[in-house]
Amino acid sequence: MAQHQVNYLKDGGLPVALTTIDKVVNWGRSNSLWALTYGLACCGIEMMASGASRYDFDRFGTIFRASPRQAELMIVAGTLTKKHAEFIRRLYDQMTEPKWVISMGSCANTGGMFNTYATVQGVDRVIPVDLYLPGCAPRPETLQYAVLLLQQKIRRESASRAQKPKRLM
Amino acid sequence: MRAYTPKDNVQKKPYYTDRYWVAPQVAKTDVSEDAVFAADLEAIRAKFEVLDAYIQVKQMVVVINAADNFGVIELMKNELEYNQLSELSAIDWLAKEGKFEIFYQMLSMSKRKRIRVKCKISEKESIQSVEKLFRSADWSEREMYDMFGVVVNNHPFMKRILMPDDWEGFPLRKTYPLQGDEFAQWYEVDKIFGKEARDIIGPENRDPARVDRYDTERFARLGHEVPRGTDISQGEPVTPLCYQESDGVFLIEKFDAEKSVVISDRDR
Amino acid sequence: MQQPNRLRPFFENITFDRSDNELILNFGPQHPSAHGQLRLMLHLQQEQITKAHPDIGYLHRGMEKMAENMIYNEFMPTTDRMDYIASSSNNYGFALAVEKLIGLEVPRRAKVIRMMLLEMNRLMSHLFWLATTALDIGAMTVFLFAFREREYLMDLIEDYCGARLTHAAIRIGGVPLDLPDNFIADLRKFLDKLPENIKDYEDLLDSNRIWKMRMENVGVISKEMALSWGCSGIMLRASGIEWDIRKEEPYELYDEVEFNVPVSDKGDNYARYKLYMAEMRESAKILHQVIDMYADTTPELMAHAPQYISAPKIDIMTQNYSLMQHFVLVTQGMRPPVGEVYVATESPKGELGYYINSQGDAYPYRLKLRAPSFWHTGILTDLLPGHYIPDVVAIIGTTNIVFGEVDR
Repeated sequence: MAQHQVNYLKDGGLPVALTTIDKVVNWGRSNSLWALTYGLACCGIEMMASGASRYDFDRFGTIFRASPRQAELMIVAGTLTKKHAEFIRRLYDQMTEPKWVISMGSCANTGGMFNTYATVQGVDRVIPVDLYLPGCAPRPETLQYAVLLLQQKIRRESASRAQKPKRLM
Repeated sequence: MRAYTPKDNVQKKPYYTDRYWVAPQVAKTDVSEDAVFAADLEAIRAKFEVLDAYIQVKQMVVVINAADNFGVIELMKNELEYNQLSELSAIDWLAKEGKFEIFYQMLSMSKRKRIRVKCKISEKESIQSVEKLFRSADWSEREMYDMFGVVVNNHPFMKRILMPDDWEGFPLRKTYPLQGDEFAQWYEVDKIFGKEARDIIGPENRDPARVDRYDTERFARLGHEVPRGTDISQGEPVTPLCYQESDGVFLIEKFDAEKSVVISDRDR
Repeated sequence: MQQPNRLRPFFENITFDRSDNELILNFGPQHPSAHGQLRLMLHLQQEQITKAHPDIGYLHRGMEKMAENMIYNEFMPTTDRMDYIASSSNNYGFALAVEKLIGLEVPRRAKVIRMMLLEMNRLMSHLFWLATTALDIGAMTVFLFAFREREYLMDLIEDYCGARLTHAAIRIGGVPLDLPDNFIADLRKFLDKLPENIKDYEDLLDSNRIWKMRMENVGVISKEMALSWGCSGIMLRASGIEWDIRKEEPYELYDEVEFNVPVSDKGDNYARYKLYMAEMRESAKILHQVIDMYADTTPELMAHAPQYISAPKIDIMTQNYSLMQHFVLVTQGMRPPVGEVYVATESPKGELGYYINSQGDAYPYRLKLRAPSFWHTGILTDLLPGHYIPDVVAIIGTTNIVFGEVDR
């Protein structure tokens, strides 16, 4: 027996990490944010660019998914029109909890330069938003920074809280 | 007393116009100057009544009666080699003379010429579809109906194209305000949540100068985060911005600015 | 008819109690390979499409209405958001239309810079088209390659005007800035590498069995159909009609540069793909010639027309009268003559036309945007029936539609 005994305090420590459930769950959540491809307009092109070769989103664990059932982050990239509004709500409802929303670009934040009859004046009139990202169109770096900030926000939250759906109203 | 604002044209107007300002005109030249156009006009004149014809910015404009529109376009397509209908739309002159002006922008690839055929109809009248001649008119006429409410006869599918089917009003008319009427402003709320949600969600913010800077109930400012509901009108503390938390993230390598490389060469 | 309400979703064209085998598939409006917000109602017999009904308007932002409420210069950034893959070509179309209305002649250096921007935008647009279409069909490598080259071009544009995507780099009457230092050298460097890159894409795709099966003899547009639907640009040239507005109705300096207009008579997806590749080579050729033109031009950038266009900044800062002119032009806007004009330019997508009806006011009375993609979407009604579901994605890809432009 004696030769198999390992002195854990000496040889590299225990093969165990002590942490809280909160931390582990949030660590997993924050580093595998799968985003729904929601390119609506010009910002969608920048969203694609941030997924493409130079800006390489995958290294942050953000992979674009085409189905709302597989996504937990909705990046609303572009102008939301009144005709489209009901579909964004339906897709948001189809995403599984926990879910987060980044409103990318001025149009999604406030309607931006399109102060017209056909444009929803801010996507937060339809779905709850976690992060507003200014710019017209924001650069890919900005989107990356927004995702990093969202990761921090997720890590601050309590993972064990009852999963209460966020309500707009 | 409030100043009277005309209701028949609610679009933006210049706040000041010189009383003696006489707007110059884009030159209109006679059709006889261009042999190709002159021949085309003769061919149209032989069969239909032409109200006016001139050349403006190298393109001929032919004004015809609205009843002749199908015939003229057919003649131009079959005999005068105008093989593409590049554009078709309307202009709202309801405020001035109670009419819509409809223009057909034609292109002849063999002659390298463009002609604009125009006609006028009143608000209650409808116009003949040219969809049988050019399929492109299918969507253009639907768009014209959607935007102006100009009804087109003999169209295969006369429905709204750009706006939702249950939309009210015709957005490009001069009587329609840029920011929409009440129906338009509450459209998405009514449709998704129902009319009873109007009070909760509140009206749209159409004022581009309004700032929600001090609203800590709903917004947190990056780099200036405070507890929810704090009054920050007197200023707020600065919280440092960082890509990661200062003590790093569990199992993830911390970003080190000193070890990073700035790429200046594009070919790298 | 079913009444829309909150609890039951509302599908306006679907009746569920059908006795035949017809299935109605709703494709979009949020579909990753629909290139934007296209909604297609497809009537299916097994996997074959019997009827297609494109539904657009999900990105209708009311640009034509905005134009009626804006002074001419104010509208320029809005045109960026039409065809947002190649913004400068929209800027240019609008600037050219207003210049034609006023009757302005632009200085030669401005023309050269505009040509550079236009052709760089064409390259950007075609690279983006290649990337997305290849991705839709499953060629991920080409997507990454083409985006790499596109980023270089965006860097160059950023060096010129400071923006990556929405440039607003062209003004009515000229261009705002001269080329920065090293711009020409950087552009040359990029152009030298471009033929290699295009060859890389072609090596990956040209004889790729999957690519050929998805592209060849799929989505064949006949000559008559293309003309009748108002197709333009590559959609028209792939169907065997040699019509390029740059050649036929030359604007700017296109009559001074030498380039070919590639044409194909096949009319299928593969022909369009080949034309895009050929056009990229032609654009590079034009850019090489335009770079050589730049050296022997005088440094004027804006046309001289004090009634319509502000003086150069140095004059505004030093001369009282220029400052007054500038103030009036900015606060009230210029007032072009009464008249109307329709100007067509060859944007990367096709014939981009601006119809302006001016009543001598600072605001256009009516501005109609003739966007090529609108009709390229409409043609799907006639093009899709007879094809299978997987072909839909390939056909939408090669029509190269952009929804900012379709819905405006």
